[in-house]
Amino acid sequence: MRVNPNYTANMVSLLNQSQQDETNALQALSTGRRVNKPSDDAAAEAAMVSENSRLAADDQYTANSESLKQILNTADSTLSSVVTILQRASTLAIEGANGTMNQTNLSSIAAEVSGINRQMLSLANTSYAGKYIFAGTATGSAPYIADVSVPGKIDYAGNDRQNSVQIGTGLTVSANLPGSSIFSQTSGNVFDALQSLFTALQSGDATAIEAAGTRISSAIDAINTSRVFYGNTVNELTSNETYLSQDKINIADYQNTLVSSDPAEATTAVTQAEYARNATVAAAAKMNQVSLLDYLK
Amino acid sequence: MSGLTTDLSVSVASLLASTQAMDVTTTNIANMNTPGYARRKVILEESTPTGNDEATTGVDVKAIRSLRDNVLELRINSAMSQQNLSSTVYNSLSAVELSFSDTASGSIGSTLDNFFSSLQALSVTPANTSLRSNVLTAASNLASAFRGTAAVISDSQHQLDRSVVQSTSDINSLLQQIAIANSAITSAQKLGQSSNSAEDQRSALLSQLSGTIDFRTVNSDDGLMLTTANGTALVVGSKAYSLTNSLNASGLNNVYSGGVDITGTIQGGSLGGYIQSRDQTLASMATQLDQFAFQFAQAVNNVQSSGSDINGTLGVALFNPPDTTAGSAAGAASSMKVALSGPSQIAAAALGGASGDNSNLAKLIDLQNQAIVNGSTPTTAYSDMTFSIGNTISQANTNATASENILLQLQNQQGSISGVSLDEESANLLLYQRSFQAAAKIITTIDTLMGNLLDMGVNNPGY
Repeated sequence: MRVNPNYTANMVSLLNQSQQDETNALQALSTGRRVNKPSDDAAAEAAMVSENSRLAADDQYTANSESLKQILNTADSTLSSVVTILQRASTLAIEGANGTMNQTNLSSIAAEVSGINRQMLSLANTSYAGKYIFAGTATGSAPYIADVSVPGKIDYAGNDRQNSVQIGTGLTVSANLPGSSIFSQTSGNVFDALQSLFTALQSGDATAIEAAGTRISSAIDAINTSRVFYGNTVNELTSNETYLSQDKINIADYQNTLVSSDPAEATTAVTQAEYARNATVAAAAKMNQVSLLDYLK
Repeated sequence: MSGLTTDLSVSVASLLASTQAMDVTTTNIANMNTPGYARRKVILEESTPTGNDEATTGVDVKAIRSLRDNVLELRINSAMSQQNLSSTVYNSLSAVELSFSDTASGSIGSTLDNFFSSLQALSVTPANTSLRSNVLTAASNLASAFRGTAAVISDSQHQLDRSVVQSTSDINSLLQQIAIANSAITSAQKLGQSSNSAEDQRSALLSQLSGTIDFRTVNSDDGLMLTTANGTALVVGSKAYSLTNSLNASGLNNVYSGGVDITGTIQGGSLGGYIQSRDQTLASMATQLDQFAFQFAQAVNNVQSSGSDINGTLGVALFNPPDTTAGSAAGAASSMKVALSGPSQIAAAALGGASGDNSNLAKLIDLQNQAIVNGSTPTTAYSDMTFSIGNTISQANTNATASENILLQLQNQQGSISGVSLDEESANLLLYQRSFQAAAKIITTIDTLMGNLLDMGVNNPGY
């Protein structure tokens, strides 16, 4: 059997192959990735698209949780101040109702109550980043404004809608509590209670002062009930963030198995490819060093 | 006496035969690296004896034969066509592939994720102007990713189109040369001369041609006849029929042979590869991308126009109405643009909702999980495209490697028949050198004998 005397094509093909192997192994080692373009592993790259999308969503959910927590904490600490000043008003009501005070004293208490009322108005119109947080979704303008036709009356100009924000796939939380469920709820309108205390103090009517004091107490209860929303939501956000960070680790792990090269494996592959290449080159250099011509004299 | 002169003429014939054999060896060695060259072998034959003198028959050079296997060459040419097609497809799509890599910055995939993230961020504080601006920026990045990817695809198509035109003219020049070689072979054969050189030349030309296009061959009295896979003539005898180019409806060049559009029937060679990448892979990607852009923009615009912007005005289209002819998505990707003039125009609120309402945003965000692009979610649609391009290229690569191995195998087989071996030629040289020397020795011997004969009368006057 005659063999092909022209071995260069075979040799070139082998040299190319060993060089390609070495380049691939080196690339896998230096980039840390087994897959560098879609044709390296089409299925893995296609999966990377959806995993990247999940990762981006998780990042955004985490960021959303953080900003929501800031807003909710602002609202909660505002309500904490609201409760503090209402308790002061409650104390003032008890003082005014015990019947030992003269009208002058009652009037000065009334003045303090009026101050509390103004403070309350300002707290109810608290804004975060320029947007009113107790206005429902009408965050563009102050939700509580003094009624021009009835002196001392405060009207609610916001709406009673709640935004829900996505914090996970198919998981949403309410992002706000409208003022109508806090300050001006039917079970205890804060402004009306304060106003009735103010009027009762001015008129020196001990029964009315006591009644107003009761209204303020129930308003405190109502606000404390509302505050549960903030605590619960913040807790939910915090535990969801823990889940999200775990989920991100899982996704990153999965992405690693999809496209990453194992450093130990990659190092071995480089060594193997190098060895194979050296052997091929050495063999190629040795091939056909002699021919019959060398022996013909 | 007649015996000696016969011996002399036989020896001279032997000298000539050995010289000719050495000429062939020289030619073989000289052409050992010439493409298309098949090693030649001198075929010696006992010459017809003159008269009844059976003792002295000389040698004749019957023929100088090129050792080639025509069937094997056909197989090699078709393997070459296949190999070039696959490697051309593999090489021509790499630019497009990189736009779909998960590490590519500003890809449709990453800008799509960013767009939805920006909507998510805005949903926390829907009236926030800087977050609204972020949404517009993300939307404009997404639009520019669509335009960029569409441009990469279209650029690649046009580059391939130039290659198609170039290939056509290369093929035409090869066809001319093959026709010339064809007529050289035919006329040599008719005159009873050797056509070996012309055949070597034609074989090299056919091998080049098979790298460019697939073709069929038929042996005829006028030499080899070449036709396209479609059956239209390329070379008949000494006449070459050129291929021509003509623009099609998409502004790309189709290939015509004898007035017939053969673009779709070219299935091999680099021309086949250019056409396959240009008209199948890239064309279908461009269509998919246009449909993606069109349906996505439409879905976003629909939600946008069902809500209210920050001023309570009815929302308007977020993306420019795709610049397309009715009923077709063509051109949607390359013309995608953000239509809103300012961040306040994002319709975050439900129809008639307050400025801080986010319920329409929730609907926009929901689009990420809705089957709005050809029955898939936007992310899945993009993921499918990534798979499709990656898979096409890796298949082309696998095919190229496989057909290269087949080609190498066949070429080895061809080499074992037609390749010039230095060892073999050296041995032959030695052989013919010896027979030349021997014949020359016989001539000197006969010369001596004849001299002796002529001298007989001089030295022996009594004879």
